[in-house]
Amino acid sequence: MSAFLDMGGYAAYVWPAYAVTLTVMALNIVWARRLLKRSRKEALHRLAMGGTEK
Amino acid sequence: MAWTWFHRLASPPHIYRVAGRLTPWLAWPAAALIVAGLFGGLVLAPPDYQQGDGFRIIYVHAPSAWMSLLVYTTMAVAAAIGLIWRMKVAHAVAASCAPIGASFTFAALVTGSLWGAPMWGTYWQWDPRLTSELILLLLYLGYMGLRSAFDDVQRADRVSAVLAIVGVVNVPIIHYSVIWWNSLHQAPSVMRLGKPTMPPSMLVPLLMMLVGFTLFFGALLLIRLRGEVLTRERTASWIREALRP
Repeated sequence: MSAFLDMGGYAAYVWPAYAVTLTVMALNIVWARRLLKRSRKEALHRLAMGGTEK
Repeated sequence: MAWTWFHRLASPPHIYRVAGRLTPWLAWPAAALIVAGLFGGLVLAPPDYQQGDGFRIIYVHAPSAWMSLLVYTTMAVAAAIGLIWRMKVAHAVAASCAPIGASFTFAALVTGSLWGAPMWGTYWQWDPRLTSELILLLLYLGYMGLRSAFDDVQRADRVSAVLAIVGVVNVPIIHYSVIWWNSLHQAPSVMRLGKPTMPPSMLVPLLMMLVGFTLFFGALLLIRLRGEVLTRERTASWIREALRP
């Protein structure tokens, strides 16, 4: 296990690279969902204000 | 007749509904492929004969770099379609792409830098590949900044589309930079004519990551697209329909 974590001496480069990429992926999920949620809220708000056509 | 399906496809309610239904079909296979690819890349693949375990950075670096180019190309094509055929949905696709592409370009630069440090002895070099990838990040950020400068979504769509289309010249420059110029960066080992330069035990996890990231992009794009379509929609009836709990 410790040999795995050591990454043949490259641990200081390999693990931060994986951490950055996985963080970017997680943030993308959060951002995308937040955008959809906000757009829904704003669309409902427009409806309530009667700001839409028809 | 031939155009009816096209208009149906491009109609906001249809896009909103289909995108919502399609998302899990992309997201779950993406998750499975990425988990399997990570395990294969970190555990099963043998160490490289020159770079030891340091080469394992490829399993996050190459997919991130692939995303940076794929997302930009998608964005530019969507922007062009939106501009030429005045198609709102296409503009919504382009707008959805930018934050995804920017973040993965950032990941590609950081992971590349972390790979370069032990192998080249430097975190950064004004090398053709590295410089053109940095310009890609600036293009994404410029696109997003330009959009946010307009209150009117339609105007933001049209003006930012021009930047997206002009910037696409950078995509082939990035891809061929390691071939055209003398670069520190190694030549392509997967996306090349003829056989890849890796044994299957190294290559298969990488292909899983590349396909997994691509599906992940699809899933993110669909979620964002639904939001962007709603933002552009002013017709009450289908919003009420779509948002009915």
